[in-house]
Amino acid sequence: MRRVALIAAGLTRFGIRQATYRELIQEAGKAAFDSNKNVSPKDIEGFVLSSVFPERSAFQSHVACLAAESLGVRPRKLFGRVENMCGSGIVAIRTAYTAIVTGLADLVMVVGAEKMNVPVPTEAALNMITGLDRDWEGSYGLAAPPMFALSAQAHAAKYGTNEEQLSMVSVKNHNHSKNNPYAHFQKGSTMEQVMCSRMISTPLRLFHCSTMSDGAAAAIFASEERAKGLTDKPIFITGTAQAAHGYAVANFHRDLSHWPALKEAANDAYAMAGIGPDDIDFAELHDCFSIAEIIAYEELGFCEKGEGGKFIEQGLSDYGGKVVVNPRGGLIGCGHPLGATGVAHATEIFLQMRGEAGPRQVPGAKIALSHTNSGPGEHHILIFEKGF
Amino acid sequence: MEQPYIYILDPYPQQAPEQTRLYPFFQFLRDGRLTTSRCKKCGTLPWPPRVVCPECMSDELEWADLPREGKIYVYTVQETGLPPGYDPPVVFAVIDLANGVRLLSVIEDSEISEIKNGADVELIVKKVPQDRVMPAFRLKR
Repeated sequence: MRRVALIAAGLTRFGIRQATYRELIQEAGKAAFDSNKNVSPKDIEGFVLSSVFPERSAFQSHVACLAAESLGVRPRKLFGRVENMCGSGIVAIRTAYTAIVTGLADLVMVVGAEKMNVPVPTEAALNMITGLDRDWEGSYGLAAPPMFALSAQAHAAKYGTNEEQLSMVSVKNHNHSKNNPYAHFQKGSTMEQVMCSRMISTPLRLFHCSTMSDGAAAAIFASEERAKGLTDKPIFITGTAQAAHGYAVANFHRDLSHWPALKEAANDAYAMAGIGPDDIDFAELHDCFSIAEIIAYEELGFCEKGEGGKFIEQGLSDYGGKVVVNPRGGLIGCGHPLGATGVAHATEIFLQMRGEAGPRQVPGAKIALSHTNSGPGEHHILIFEKGF
Repeated sequence: MEQPYIYILDPYPQQAPEQTRLYPFFQFLRDGRLTTSRCKKCGTLPWPPRVVCPECMSDELEWADLPREGKIYVYTVQETGLPPGYDPPVVFAVIDLANGVRLLSVIEDSEISEIKNGADVELIVKKVPQDRVMPAFRLKR
């Protein structure tokens, strides 16, 4: 099977940006091309855009062609937009990966972009319920915070996972994002700040939640052969998998503290890469809410089921622990422009593997896992390995 | 000038016969009945209701009554950050009906301090804008 290499990546600053949707796309695209001067827009054969709801937040559909035109790209072998809610970025990368593996294209650019912030902030919350089962669940006002709070409640009831442990995830990720000039939040946080922040949906407080951020990220992938002429630092995708077990909350796994779709996807990705969880040097996990990171530790096999709270408590997901989780600061520290997040993971992996992550560098990083979810029932995974 | 009806600003489900084939669900609900589609071929009782059976692809479905009582599996109280048009607090709950069918709904008309995992709840009919209805629950009386 043809191997696929990540050869360029870049992103915008995440936050409440004084910039439009298409301006964010241009910033991220430039950053990716700036990261590898051997690739220019005219070389790009395939182009995949990840965006969740530009129709609502930017009043713009038909966005893949807009993004390509904005970046001077004229794709002729593969072209389109993907939307799988919060996990879209990895789905876009998998689309590029598949095209390269099959020989449909040799050089594919992936851009993830989302303009989340609109003049009246509550409008963004209305946009978010479109990502749930709008007719039967979203119409109660259900958006992501209460949906993940229900998993937190189930995990607390079954395993005793407590507010301190939830808060430790936030403090860790806020402290990581202090070292990331592209993060929405760069001041760090204390346990007291997290535990005194306002309640969103019990038991999740404001600082247990990722935030509505504007941002974009871009990454360029090449076949192994094409990569040889473009970089001497290829980073290969060696494993990837997805699984979806349900759309409506009512149809998730009956025990909401278990996310078997994530476990299934993880096991498939590990098998494809020929590795196990102990081989991962660092992981970009989808901490949309602190409980999501805790459950991900368990389903990814970093610890036993039910031990995720202890895993953070013992510092095992931080520098000097078992696996560094979310060195860039995660979604809690960086913010979560939905379509951009999975692509931002690839950007962080690009920097870490090349030893260019500055004060947040994970020493000796060779194997990384990227995980995004689109709710507790739907998960996407990529495994990257340093190829130099 | 009166603003015309803008569909994308309306988060509630379309319920009228000219909008959805599932309109009987909402008519039954007005009478206090909670129903879903049952497959005449294989007996599957899905939630939410369908027009095609997700297990055997039959489109020969009939309406079946669901129990009006169930238990709270887990719940959360949302205090802030709700979409416009929704006033806090909102109690979201995963409810297991007596026959095992599970649904996500809201607990209303109840003392929040008395809501617990495992508590018994009963159906109420929640009125939403434009004379529409949705299922909701309250602590059993």
